Amino acid sequence: MLVRDEGNFSKSINLIIIAVTIIVLLLLPRYISGYYIRLFTAIFMYASIAQAFNLMSGYMGYIPFGHVMFFGIGAYVTAIFMGRGLNFIVAILLAALVAVITSVILGFPVLRLRGHYFAIATIGMNGALMSVVQNFTDITGGAMGTTLPIIAKPPALVYNYFYLAMFSLMVFTTLLVYFIIHSKFGYAIRSIKANEDAANSMGINTTSTKVITWAIAALFTSLAGSLYGYWMSFIAPEEVFNVMISVNTIVMMLIGGAGTILGPILGSFIIEVVSEFAWSGFMEYHLAALGIATIIIVFFVPRGLVGTIADLRNRKMVKIKQ
Amino acid sequence: MSENNIILDIRAISKNFGALRAVDQVSFQVHKGEIIGLIGPNGAGKTTLTNLVTGDLKKTEGEVFFKNCNITNMKPFQIARIGITRTYQVVKPLEGMTVEENVLVGSLFGRENRSNNLAHAQKIAGEIIELVGLDKKKNFLVSDITLPDLKRMEFARVLAMEPEVVFLDEVMAGLNPSEIEESMKMVKRIREDKDLTIIYIEHIMKAVMSISDRIIVLHHGKKICEGPPQEVCNNPAVVEAYLGKKYAKEVINN
Repeated sequence: MLVRDEGNFSKSINLIIIAVTIIVLLLLPRYISGYYIRLFTAIFMYASIAQAFNLMSGYMGYIPFGHVMFFGIGAYVTAIFMGRGLNFIVAILLAALVAVITSVILGFPVLRLRGHYFAIATIGMNGALMSVVQNFTDITGGAMGTTLPIIAKPPALVYNYFYLAMFSLMVFTTLLVYFIIHSKFGYAIRSIKANEDAANSMGINTTSTKVITWAIAALFTSLAGSLYGYWMSFIAPEEVFNVMISVNTIVMMLIGGAGTILGPILGSFIIEVVSEFAWSGFMEYHLAALGIATIIIVFFVPRGLVGTIADLRNRKMVKIKQ
Repeated sequence: MSENNIILDIRAISKNFGALRAVDQVSFQVHKGEIIGLIGPNGAGKTTLTNLVTGDLKKTEGEVFFKNCNITNMKPFQIARIGITRTYQVVKPLEGMTVEENVLVGSLFGRENRSNNLAHAQKIAGEIIELVGLDKKKNFLVSDITLPDLKRMEFARVLAMEPEVVFLDEVMAGLNPSEIEESMKMVKRIREDKDLTIIYIEHIMKAVMSISDRIIVLHHGKKICEGPPQEVCNNPAVVEAYLGKKYAKEVINN
């Protein structure tokens, strides 16, 4: 029998491990080269998106394959406003606002769909948005892409900035998801995944819960997109609206553990490191390996690494009690 | 009973599924504190009627009033918030959560204007889990408990929502005779405890007869009879449609 048990002892150990990890990661840029700083920045970026995705699918059970559209919105709206002379902070906030408004407007019709239909509808929306960006050449720079202002500081310092910014985004996203899940609203989210009809008949306004959750996920994804655009200082529609970004984050979330708080972070670390070191040797098999890995996870470790470890731990505790 | 005692007033509601009229112009009134038995052959429209009142299905015709307030076009979550809840014939537990969490969701949401405090909701959930006798299994995942326990859990979840009117849709189906006995005692005890009005859908005649104040019989979507248990058993139309002559005699003699 599987019984839930969160011992206080293991909880405090977890907290210590997390605190140490955060301090180490904060100090890390002093000791590693620019290459590794960029790698870690990418890991943090993916972890933030995977965490936003986790709230939406790991906890609520809706899988928005086209979720990358908010990444693209974040990057492009930031680029457009910075191109008009606004500073980065204003541009990133405007981009977040645009992403949230878009998610709410699209959410009301599309969140009526369930399962595959919802997933596919979001892919369609992402495709539509991408072609809008490709064709409004005057504003967006069209299919050729557009540039963002380059920060006039030494590159090493700039990389450090983005390292810290992405790291803060990841920590902030994770904390927020943690607090949401442990609140009343979190129970509404989890009830929707568990059984949407039952949730509705228990007094949960499922429609507004779904739309708000998607808006939160869109907000964090767009923040990651804005930072990415400014970091790269060049973006193209086929790059930032690439569905493969969604697919990557889904795999990261699944490997780490969907519906667990640390899963998406662990997953993005594993996938990014593996793809950096192992797959660069055989680029052409990259996608096949990703696909096979996903199938294996879904069949054999559906709860992901963190989820499976937690299950094993709980089982052990139950045995000890008995 | 006086007019202002009416808590639920169902006025000529109907439901069409394509050409099939699943519920046909059914009207009845429920008084506060009553237990109404809703019986009828398979496919008579009992569950559909429940779904119409709780908003799970849209009504083709007719209106529903709760305490003189028109709730005809409300959504299920709104109806739950004003105090009408139901259990499901085919149980709908919140998978992946424990028994305690399931009941906790009921006490967190459910009736409107209640505390948002998690600790308070947890306390209520704990009390109700004890009331239905599930305290030993409260930390079990719902996928790990038996069907009778799942039905208890659903009942607990409904109680945690602090409703006034509860539809119990075949809470005893699949239970053995001793479990039925136990379940009946529990329903009676809790009704008095919580001052509930219950609409009780059941096939097990013994249970319905002993527990109900009034019985309503549906057949082919129409209400064919309404009255106290003894009277309903003697009604020729009910005997013809549902009980059968031999069984009717047995029930009356008991």
